Amino acid sequence: MAESNQQGCLFVGEGVVLKGNFIVPDIASISGTIEGELSAKQVIVEASGTIRGKVTGESIDVRGEVVEYLNSTNSLIIRSTGKVTGSIHYAEIEIEKGGHIFGDLHTASHSNS
Amino acid sequence: MFSKKHPELIIEDATDNLTEDLPGAIAEVLDTAEGVNSPTLASRTPRKPSIISEGFEFVGTITSEGTLNIAGVVKGSITAKSVLIDVEGRVEGELTTDMLMVKGVVVGDVKCQELNVGPRAFMDGTVAYQNIHIQRGGRVAGKFTKN
Repeated sequence: MAESNQQGCLFVGEGVVLKGNFIVPDIASISGTIEGELSAKQVIVEASGTIRGKVTGESIDVRGEVVEYLNSTNSLIIRSTGKVTGSIHYAEIEIEKGGHIFGDLHTASHSNS
Repeated sequence: MFSKKHPELIIEDATDNLTEDLPGAIAEVLDTAEGVNSPTLASRTPRKPSIISEGFEFVGTITSEGTLNIAGVVKGSITAKSVLIDVEGRVEGELTTDMLMVKGVVVGDVKCQELNVGPRAFMDGTVAYQNIHIQRGGRVAGKFTKN
């Protein structure tokens, strides 16, 4: 996922554990573990990645695990290896077969049929 | 709105509705509704799907060992092997099934093994599932748990 322009990006490698609050202006790609709060424009949780705490982002792509709170203002994609537990807020969601969600889902719905 | 506690009573109401209120609507639900009391139901698995057509509203309990296609409205509780809720379809109440494909609207308690939510579907309520697949654009709200 490493693009040529890495300005404003956060990459957490496998095995790395970060604790605290992080504000990322662009892409956050997580292969390790984050405990705490993460806010980024785009969040990618890789298959080996785990986030325990609060995740906020425009688009969030989960191949790993997110526990506690997730808020996606644009699109949330849970891949086949992904697992999200806790309170989930989203505008648009896609779950691939094999992906899991447990907890409360809330739509930030502008249109309701 | 409707009572889940007296399904027998509702079945009678619903049967009245079928014959009197909506004579034009096509409903193959009658045979499945009769089948509730039939002991041979488990032994024979109907191959043809039971259909609740568009514009048809059913209030009561549906039990089927086969497939159920819902393009109309069902208020009450549904137990079936496989349920398809079409784009125009709407289910309010309890829904227990192995395979559930939602293209329309489901509001209530859902228990299923395989859940597939289509791109324009809307689900709200308590959902217990084994496997889930939500296509992009599908909207789900409520509590999600694993079976």
